[in-house]
Amino acid sequence: MFVNNPYRPEPAVIKDIIQETTNIRTFRIVLNDEEKMRNFSFKPGQVAQLSVFGVGESTFVINSPPTRKDYLQFSVMAVGEVTQALHKLDVGDEVGVRAPLGNGFDVEALKGYNIVFVGGGIGMAPLRTLLLYMLDNRQDYGDIIVIYGARSPEDLCYRYEFDKWRDGGINLVLTVDAEAPGWKENVGFVPTILAEVEPSAHNRMAITCGPPIMIKFVLAGLKEIGFENHQILTTLEKRMKCGIGICGRCNIGTKYVCIDGPVFSYEELSKMLPEL
Amino acid sequence: MRGKTFIAHDELPEVLERLSKAMDVWIPTAINDEKYEIQFLPYQSDRLPVLDRQSTMPPKKVIFPQVETLLHFSRKKDENNPFKSHIKLEDEEEVSPVLVFGARPCDVRGFLVFDEVYLNGPYKDPYYAKRRKKTLFATLVCETSDNACFCSAVGSGPADQTGSDLWIIPVDGGYVIEALTERGENLMPEMGKDATEAQVAEARDVQEKVAGLRVGEADLTQNSDAFEDRFSDNEYWRDMAFKCISCGICTYVCPTCYCFNITDEAKDLDGERIRSWDSCMFNHFTREASGHNPRPSKLERYRNRIGHKFSYFPKKYKGMIACCGCGRCIRRCPVALDIRNVVLSLKKNKENVDVCK
Amino acid sequence: MPMDEKTKTLQEDFEKNFADLELVIGWETGFDRLHATPVFIRQPSELGKLVWNPLCSQNLSGYLAKNLDASIQEDGKKIGICVKGCDSRSLVALIQENFIDRKRLYIVGIPCEGTVDLRRLMRLNPSLKNVRKVDIEGNKAVVETDQETLRFPIEDVLARKCLRCLYPNPVIYDTIIGTPVKPRISEDKAYTAVEKLDSSDRKQRLAFWKTEFDRCIRCYACRNACPLCVCQDNCIAESRKPKWLTQRDGIREKFLFHMIHGLHLAGRCTECGECERVCPVEIPTMLIKEKMNQIVKDMLDYEAGIDPEAKPPLLTFDPGETGI
Repeated sequence: MFVNNPYRPEPAVIKDIIQETTNIRTFRIVLNDEEKMRNFSFKPGQVAQLSVFGVGESTFVINSPPTRKDYLQFSVMAVGEVTQALHKLDVGDEVGVRAPLGNGFDVEALKGYNIVFVGGGIGMAPLRTLLLYMLDNRQDYGDIIVIYGARSPEDLCYRYEFDKWRDGGINLVLTVDAEAPGWKENVGFVPTILAEVEPSAHNRMAITCGPPIMIKFVLAGLKEIGFENHQILTTLEKRMKCGIGICGRCNIGTKYVCIDGPVFSYEELSKMLPEL
Repeated sequence: MRGKTFIAHDELPEVLERLSKAMDVWIPTAINDEKYEIQFLPYQSDRLPVLDRQSTMPPKKVIFPQVETLLHFSRKKDENNPFKSHIKLEDEEEVSPVLVFGARPCDVRGFLVFDEVYLNGPYKDPYYAKRRKKTLFATLVCETSDNACFCSAVGSGPADQTGSDLWIIPVDGGYVIEALTERGENLMPEMGKDATEAQVAEARDVQEKVAGLRVGEADLTQNSDAFEDRFSDNEYWRDMAFKCISCGICTYVCPTCYCFNITDEAKDLDGERIRSWDSCMFNHFTREASGHNPRPSKLERYRNRIGHKFSYFPKKYKGMIACCGCGRCIRRCPVALDIRNVVLSLKKNKENVDVCK
Repeated sequence: MPMDEKTKTLQEDFEKNFADLELVIGWETGFDRLHATPVFIRQPSELGKLVWNPLCSQNLSGYLAKNLDASIQEDGKKIGICVKGCDSRSLVALIQENFIDRKRLYIVGIPCEGTVDLRRLMRLNPSLKNVRKVDIEGNKAVVETDQETLRFPIEDVLARKCLRCLYPNPVIYDTIIGTPVKPRISEDKAYTAVEKLDSSDRKQRLAFWKTEFDRCIRCYACRNACPLCVCQDNCIAESRKPKWLTQRDGIREKFLFHMIHGLHLAGRCTECGECERVCPVEIPTMLIKEKMNQIVKDMLDYEAGIDPEAKPPLLTFDPGETGI
């Protein structure tokens, strides 16, 4: 065996599966090697290549925070070959993990700032890891607003922990695209709600992730409120294979999303070649 | 240290035969008697090297096989529970030492590009590294450039010894061999008899003559900013890529193209994770599961190929161009698309761009 | 008509008709005078680039069904295109299959005496350099270099497909350049290569194809250069769902790919030979399609790409089919 093989996944076992929405499942996994699990360290926003052996690998953010290491959590929408295969797995089944990969959020740099998270659909996953990290280090960060939207109440992920987020002092603003029976929170697209909430840009960082069309309008909305490019962070997605900057497909100009990202500020993105 | 040696034409098979007892010797050789194309294959007594023209396929696959197994995976029963099993992963196979005999400077330069990405990046590629370490190059000074060649235009040249361990110079009746590295020196005892003074002199003349040649007139090394300026000029890229038929020849025959795919090929739970050559000219290369594709048409894909070689790569790696000027992509392109013209036109203003070459 | 004169007539014809055209697809001299390359002309001032000579191998009709991208408007003017005999058959097949609207085309047909197979030429003369011009005069290919004029018997340098071509004259056109030429073989000789291969036994044939396909590098140039290979980005070769082929480089994958490629062209292949010409490792891929066509001809008395009004047999279903 190679001593150091970045292509070799660590075998891991699925401990728990949560059905988030009709086509999104959350998997909680633990590395088979107890020592490796104990020593596993990562930054919020870093990603993993999950293997379903015989089908292939796909990239997901580790959406549990490094402050909670009972398991590593991944939320998976069934859209392609690997994700559909993942959805067929049960608790106790084995997968492979190559992680941590990518840059992650710079939690040190964010210290002392107020934060607004703006998420849409499964785009909440990379925000969740940072959000929980901040909850676990609450004293290091200022006020935290979360604006999270989905098409319908049933399309919101992590519903079962919203109360805990609020208990932790998060101003959680939820929205869905259209009225739904029993829904008591906001109705409207995320950018609209963002404009209503209008979080002050003063001493604040905005962190957003969601479908491209949402991002486009959220970005415009944030600028409107007064956010500068360097105050806005997002995480990018690209088709990846190696995850280690070699196989050559996830680049935007000279930047490789797998090693230089997936977290970029809009300051950085605005200097990159327009090939998203 | 042994001086220069001489291998007569008719002694070459004997030399290769001896060498191949100790290592895998790859030579450029004809497909068969009826065909024209040359490919690199392991030496066998019924295969003779063809050194009078460039090989169709570079020796890329010697170190970067078209398909390589990254992992074997299989199921192993749990020791305590017959109803459970665990995945078992194996990842390394031994490789033999290799001599590539009769490559050209451009072929070898391809691996210098690979090295930056596969050995010197944030992650070292162990599969590439193990083969690279065990491979030696006996390289031929190149006297046979044609109209598609442009090695001098990308900072190399037909007598460029960089990356080679042994140097082969054709002289009257055979080849003069010279060691360039210590590893090459170790093979010198196998490289024929001592060269005569006259042969050494002739070899020096040949070397000097070839070193003085300029293959490819233009300078293609200073275009990374021009590329960025052109990036959003869709009309330019449409015109440049118009004739491209989106096949993978240019990337597969390229000594510097290093991109790959990773797939699992398995029956039930036993199988392999392999990596295989991939091409940025293919639509699926960047197509995401959602259907979104950041490079949806040949315009964006061709632009990326040019950008990668002549802008992104030099920006990342101290000005090194990810192109060795071997000309294979031009010569083998089904529609004779000329990469030199595309790169040279980057700096031209609209009226002077010759879209048709 | 000599080659230079044909080139001139070609240019003049397009010039005369340019008002009705938004784009002209033809050939021009490539990176040297031994290589032609497709050219796309949008301005009449550029028509001088057009050439016709025996190096104009590329079948340009493929650009009409794929690869043109969004640059052609739905309701624009006509597209002018140059075709040889074999190319014109591809056009017909694409018209039959509704990939092209005949009304959008202005077709300039060129009776063709054959195209040069550069590999065959270079084999005969590996040191060939400084070529100025290549032409065909009767039974000789004439190659002019800066130093000398060389003459080669056409059997030695023409593409294999040209030596067995029954349709050197375009079967569909708006204008024809020059006078019709005679096929070099009679109809009963069209499938001699296939017959020769068929005369060997099954084991030998399998061994032959295994050796040939083993070299395949899966670059898919044969597929992409084929004007009738129209699945484009949804090819079985790369599809993972459904998964027909692995990405391994074993003979099984290569064999299957080429067989499916051949089968999909049964009764559709117009024998332009592009698959074989572009193959970087010299696999005689057209032989498979020739075999398919031979079967279709024998069973169904059909030849692909001759009559725009005809229904290709494998695109129709007739329960009372008599040939099967």
